[in-house]
Amino acid sequence: MTAISAESLVKHFAADIKAVDGIDLAIPEGQIFGFLGPNGSGKTTTVRMLTTLLRPTGGRAEVAGLDVERQAHEVRRQIGVALQDAGLDELQTGRELLHLQGHLYALSAGDIKPRARHLLGIVDLEESADRKIKTYSGGMRRRLDLAAALMHRPKIVFLDEPTTGLDPISREAIWRYVRELNRDEGATFFLTTQYLEEADRLADDLAIMNFGKIVAQGTPKQLKDSIGADVITVHIEGDAAETARAAAVARELDGVEDVRIVDDTVTVYVRDGRRAIARVVLLLDQANLGVAEVSLAHPTLDDVFLRKTGNHLEPDAAVTGTDGSEAGGREASA
Amino acid sequence: MQVLRSAYFLMLRGLRESARQPAVELTNIFIPMFFFAVTVGAIGNIAAGAFGVDNFVGFQMPVAILQAVAGTAGMAGIATTVDIERGYFDKLLLTPAPRLSLVLGRLAADSVRAMLLTGLVLIAGSFAGAGMEAGPFGFVAILVLAGLFGLVYSAIGMAIALRTGSPQAAQAGFLIFFPLLFLSPAFAPKEVFAGWLEFLATINPVTYVLQGMRHLILEGWSWRALAEATGSILGLGVLTLSLALAALRYRTS
Ligand SMILES: Nc1ncnc2c1ncn2[C@@H]1O[C@H](COP(=O)(O)OP(=O)(O)O)[C@@H](O)[C@H]1O
Ligand SMILES: [Mg+2]
Repeated sequence: MTAISAESLVKHFAADIKAVDGIDLAIPEGQIFGFLGPNGSGKTTTVRMLTTLLRPTGGRAEVAGLDVERQAHEVRRQIGVALQDAGLDELQTGRELLHLQGHLYALSAGDIKPRARHLLGIVDLEESADRKIKTYSGGMRRRLDLAAALMHRPKIVFLDEPTTGLDPISREAIWRYVRELNRDEGATFFLTTQYLEEADRLADDLAIMNFGKIVAQGTPKQLKDSIGADVITVHIEGDAAETARAAAVARELDGVEDVRIVDDTVTVYVRDGRRAIARVVLLLDQANLGVAEVSLAHPTLDDVFLRKTGNHLEPDAAVTGTDGSEAGGREASA
Repeated sequence: MQVLRSAYFLMLRGLRESARQPAVELTNIFIPMFFFAVTVGAIGNIAAGAFGVDNFVGFQMPVAILQAVAGTAGMAGIATTVDIERGYFDKLLLTPAPRLSLVLGRLAADSVRAMLLTGLVLIAGSFAGAGMEAGPFGFVAILVLAGLFGLVYSAIGMAIALRTGSPQAAQAGFLIFFPLLFLSPAFAPKEVFAGWLEFLATINPVTYVLQGMRHLILEGWSWRALAEATGSILGLGVLTLSLALAALRYRTS
């Protein structure tokens, strides 16, 4: 059965702000669905519409077979949501927050306490469960928010950038909970992220967003295979003219499918990259172009994004973390 | 049913919050007590000669009560703006809890606190010799009136909070109380007022709450005074709760 579906879903904030510009979704039950896109691409707006917080400007969406506008109340019973900014109540303890959550979902009193204890254990918050939330770190808040979203055993869970701004260890922990819950309780996850690595490693299926539109959709493997080539990345010494000249040289090579320039790098999509890389370096050298660095890799989701949008997918500058921008193995470098 | 259930748990949360910020409630009780003492000290001795009030402590006690209630009944609005700013309000909106319970829970918490502070003023007043002509049930009636007034009054701050989301604006809701209090027979009986003031006092609902409580303290049980007090609270409540619900609808649509 389809857990989440959308047809031509649109949200305009003003005539000129098309936050979500006509997207279609069909997400089967039991999937971890990744919604990947840069800051401002419309991920949160989509989540807010699907979770009944925001009315669509146009189109329609169903969650658990229920219309998000006309059956908003029923939808709320079926879903668990952790919003982008873990909005929690500073003066309550973690345990109290979960208990209140349970009561608001009308769980029975006998169910609430053990369920809260169980979830606090899963997200490693037993020790701090009886401390006020205002003493929690960012990572602890995210984990508590995740536990709160799961209190009533929802079949469909929305997580809006659950790991943004988290340190690598907390991020790995969240990934582990999501996988376990998906496996053990069969929950469907709709997970937004700016991180290629997160989408690549966690998502069964993936949509890539840019400026309110889905620019690519499929499994991470399908998307990467769709590039149909290996990727040679060359950093050129010198100005933009040199870079452009290098791109022109690369285009002449046999088996080249596409060449893209971003800043001082030239990205060459080519069949049989192992053989092509030596030729590329040779031709550039013959053309008197200075090569600062060259590498060969299988395509990554970033290459998919680059192919579709002409830009790299760079996480928010304010966000630091692991090298989330490098998914898929760099195979060799010269 | 589900409305009351959810409101009950949200009320408990509101009360827990207050218990964890005792300083806030200290201000809410200290200011009225201070004015109570100062007013009695300043005018108490001449009140009998000036406008025939022998028991000025008893006469002033309801003023202190309403001040305390109005102070604490601003919390619903302010706390709601904090929830909105932090994003916790969205989390509450995501639950299937009826929207109405998000408002009622907060108002109920204010009402309970209003009764607690009223209890403190009643105890202090009794020690100062306010007396209670209506007997033990007079205390109960005053507590109930204070709780109802607190509920209805806190809906003003709630309406502002939901409409604006601004803590400053919600706090300003408290200022509405000052004209209401001073345009009532707070410090002297209505009979000695100038004509225009007497007119304003007559149409001011706070006047009847004040008079109802005063009657219980100074003269004894009176169904009529109680009915007038309750009626004016309910009248005010229809207005303030409608505003709060309209603001809730505004925020959630
Ligand atoms: N309430 C709002 N009013 C006006 N514009 C908004 C509002 N919310 C989001 N936007 C705009 O819509 C676009 C998409 O935002 P958002 O959905 O938050 O993106 P993302 O979650 O992918 O970072 C952005 O340009 C953002 O500025
Ligand atoms: Mg977002």
